[in-house]
Amino acid sequence: METNTKILAAEFQYLEGQDLDQVLAWLAEYREKARILAGGTDLLVKMKLGHVQPEYIIYIKKIAALNYIQYDTGNLKIGATTTLSQIERHETIKGYYSALYEAVRSMAAVAVKNMGTIGGNLGNASPAADTAPPLLVYDASLKIASKEGVREIPITEYFVGPGKSVLAPNELLLEISIPEIEADTGSSFLKLGRVAADIAKINVAVCLKRSGRTCTSCRIAFGSVAPIPMRVREAESLLEGKELTEDLITLAARAGAAEIKPITDNRSTREYRLKVSRVILEEALRAAWQRAGGAL
Amino acid sequence: MSFQVIGKVLPRKDGIAKVCGQEVYPSDIVVPNMLYGVTLRSPYPHAEILSIDTAAAEAMGAIVVTPDDVPDVIYNERTVSIPEKTYRDRRVLPRRARHVGEAIVAVAAETEELAFRAMRAIKVEYKVLPPVLDLDKAMDPGAAPLYEEIYLGDDKIEVRNNIACERIITVGDPEAGFAKADHIVEREYELPRVYHHQMETKTAVCRPEPNGGITVWATTQTIHNVRQLLGHIFGIPLSKVNVKKLAIGGSFGSSIQMNSIIPICVALALKARRPVKMVSSREDDIYDHAKFPARIRLKVGVKKDGTIVAADMRVMVDIGAHQINAYPLLGCMAGWYASLYKWRDFYYEGRAIYTNKVPACAMQGYGNPQVNFAVESHMDIIAEECGFDPVEFRLKNYVGIGDEFWGQGPTVKSIIKSCGVEEMLRKGAEMIGWANRRPHHEKSGRYRRGIGVARGFHTSGTGGPKPGEVIDYSSATIKINEDGTVDVMTPVMDLGGGTGEAAVKVVAEVLKVPYERVELSPVDTKTTGYDVCTHATRGVYCGCGAVYHVAQQVKTKLLEFAGRILEENPENLELAYEEEKNVSIVHVKGFKQKQITIGEVAKLAQIYSWGTIAATDSLRQKNCPPCFVAHFIEVEVDTWTGIVKIPRAILLSDTGTPINPDMVAGQLIGSLSRGMGYALYEETEYDLATGKLKCNGFITDNKIPTSCEMPYIDDIQVYFAHTYEPTGPFGAKGIGEAALNSVASAVANAIYNAIGIRFYRTPITPEKILQALEGGGKVGN
Repeated sequence: METNTKILAAEFQYLEGQDLDQVLAWLAEYREKARILAGGTDLLVKMKLGHVQPEYIIYIKKIAALNYIQYDTGNLKIGATTTLSQIERHETIKGYYSALYEAVRSMAAVAVKNMGTIGGNLGNASPAADTAPPLLVYDASLKIASKEGVREIPITEYFVGPGKSVLAPNELLLEISIPEIEADTGSSFLKLGRVAADIAKINVAVCLKRSGRTCTSCRIAFGSVAPIPMRVREAESLLEGKELTEDLITLAARAGAAEIKPITDNRSTREYRLKVSRVILEEALRAAWQRAGGAL
Repeated sequence: MSFQVIGKVLPRKDGIAKVCGQEVYPSDIVVPNMLYGVTLRSPYPHAEILSIDTAAAEAMGAIVVTPDDVPDVIYNERTVSIPEKTYRDRRVLPRRARHVGEAIVAVAAETEELAFRAMRAIKVEYKVLPPVLDLDKAMDPGAAPLYEEIYLGDDKIEVRNNIACERIITVGDPEAGFAKADHIVEREYELPRVYHHQMETKTAVCRPEPNGGITVWATTQTIHNVRQLLGHIFGIPLSKVNVKKLAIGGSFGSSIQMNSIIPICVALALKARRPVKMVSSREDDIYDHAKFPARIRLKVGVKKDGTIVAADMRVMVDIGAHQINAYPLLGCMAGWYASLYKWRDFYYEGRAIYTNKVPACAMQGYGNPQVNFAVESHMDIIAEECGFDPVEFRLKNYVGIGDEFWGQGPTVKSIIKSCGVEEMLRKGAEMIGWANRRPHHEKSGRYRRGIGVARGFHTSGTGGPKPGEVIDYSSATIKINEDGTVDVMTPVMDLGGGTGEAAVKVVAEVLKVPYERVELSPVDTKTTGYDVCTHATRGVYCGCGAVYHVAQQVKTKLLEFAGRILEENPENLELAYEEEKNVSIVHVKGFKQKQITIGEVAKLAQIYSWGTIAATDSLRQKNCPPCFVAHFIEVEVDTWTGIVKIPRAILLSDTGTPINPDMVAGQLIGSLSRGMGYALYEETEYDLATGKLKCNGFITDNKIPTSCEMPYIDDIQVYFAHTYEPTGPFGAKGIGEAALNSVASAVANAIYNAIGIRFYRTPITPEKILQALEGGGKVGN
């Protein structure tokens, strides 16, 4: 066997970033040879399996300026090294950003959540990343830095393929920024795994706004059913501007399930994902609608 | 029956050490000057090893052991059966790899990292052979043979069509029996390979001794069998082989045999002339052992009145690359089948097939959960087809008191003397509300609930009135210290089920000593008599049976010494526990004023130079009493997602006197979790193109249920039948394996009651449920 999961077999140089400038300078210098280490819950596994063998490991969790949850002006800003446990325990997120809270609550076991970070979950760019669908439906934007400067992109442009994002080798994810949740807005997240603490077979997030009985806007995102976490825009457009009924929910869920492109893997089958994504989207829509104050 | 400590919930003897992280497991052992060992494992399912180039590894300072360096001894790592019934097909390191993950070369170095790097520098030249990965094709005349010849006892035997071994048993005249039947039901069932998933992976530490001997600290369920086998393989006199008894982090049967890394570690240590430590990674472990899968074809004939008249069972087991205990397994499966119901005339045929997969071995139940799933599913099918109530149909035909029980295949049998089957089935039916159970066709809607019943048993040990194919006895040494405390030396491994506490309670009860004044001594193979193994649910019944036997001898000696001091005939003396003073006394029968504490007796015996009040002896149990269980389980099936939840479970057991009632309940509840895994979640699947496990040896893709999947604790009810086993220590039988055996069957029966779909194969995953619902089941959306 080519692995020994007790050992990081490959040699590497360990660099501990004390401030952002230093980290960005290292990234500019070492580029593809370097990997960012935060919680390590994905990276160390890949290194043990020999899937990645970086020459330089740049540890960023010592940089206090990257660990924060700010909710001042209505916007929610989360620093990249904020742990999943910190997010799960944050009262504002629990109270207003239900989909994100539910996503983080559904993830892994406590020990992993104490180590793993939101930036790492996005940096890993897994199609099954649980924080991705909520951030997609909240229309989050990502602040990305390099030695050359800082850029901000909508998260819809972030994912490129399984394990791939638009982050360049010299770039570091700094912050996730979520616009204010307006009144009469509701969001939800649902996930199916093999067991409770598992990577998703399917996950889905919904965020919608209500005016009376009408759904004025709606965003829906699926994970683990396509090469990247994806919005299902046809389903969204079916709901927008319409009076929400059970029939419409069923219709939209069917449309959403028709947009995904799942595969069969170790966790589930393509057929199962196609069938059940419809079921959990219906439930997620109902939950979000109710949280927006709507009745059915 | 009223007891002083038996049946009381008391703190575990190892509890404080375990919760404080102070308990010593093999992986905690550190020996001065030791090296660390790793193994190079085959990437191919079937390949001849042409050459091994170790130069680069040795240049890095590593010690390397290849198949050329190990003794040319062909052995079977499990030595529980008698030698002439033991199949032998393996060496310490093979010249031909027969499964992906089989250890080929071992490397030791100053650090595990260096050993791993040196291991990767070794070049092995393989001649890849066609693999045998499909049970159906394994017996084809054209299939590649895994072995040309193997050994049975001392005889060399030829292997034909990859059939490792087989057993055929006929009782009465099955053909005539079926002719009498009004209704015959025939079905095929299939149970998967699953991984033991014990918490602790395997460790071995070996220190070569100056006298030419070795000291070994290793993960095992049997220190004495490891000692004897190491002595045999390496040609070391047993007086110079010492195996230490340590805590074990769970086993589920995976350490009944000497673990594969133990002799590898010894070979490394002997070559290095230094101590060597090896700790398996999880992937080493997943590629090392699995539960026996089984394909079972069952035919049962029944009369209109519900009397069973004949049965026919044919079993095929894909055992993987080596025979660890396939032959006794086939016998045991016959026994579990023979002992569930009165078939009257029946036939059994079991066949074990070699394939290029991870070798299968015993795992909690040893063929029993497999047989139980087939038979208990079958009982429900017959009951429905013939219009019998499933509970009444079972009660009419079960094997119970006064009947013969096959405790370990056809050669280990005894008469059942205690039985709680009827009490459990009646009580369980009442607790779950059996009378109100509705048939599946009356249910509709997305969420459908169903109730299932299944019953089962396991043996308590492998003893019997006659010696059979299996060795079974145990030993103990007990001494009373000079302050009246007691030391107990037992070679019996406690696998976490509380066998150690049971031994202490038995001694405390016999000698009327407070529980906290009896302790287990650290022991090894040099300081204890033989015990075969903690397997076959024999820890309490057989292991503590020997402890009980020796404690009685200590009591005799104690009364004799006390008689000398009190100037009384020992027969006129008895023991008592004085609760107020918390002391144990010897007093004249019926006259408590004339008394002496046992501490005083022991102290005076020392001062007068009479000797230590101690005894050592062995005991073979002459019975193998079944510990019965029954499971009434409720499921809720989400027909839209296929997800099954268990809102309620009633777990009933007949363990005779429960010596540790809290731990009996723990076994039942823990086994509910493992049984749910077996029914709903687990299977170690293979990629048939590469021979590799689909999970690659990682638990990330080998999920088992955790506490999150369990019913709420308030929704689990445990019930103990009121029985007393006359041949057991203070009426006790076993529980460990019985607790699991009918869980998966009850879950499958409950799923049928919920949605009307019979599953013949586990695990019953959400994917399979949805597929089945679409393919003919009624969907309520």
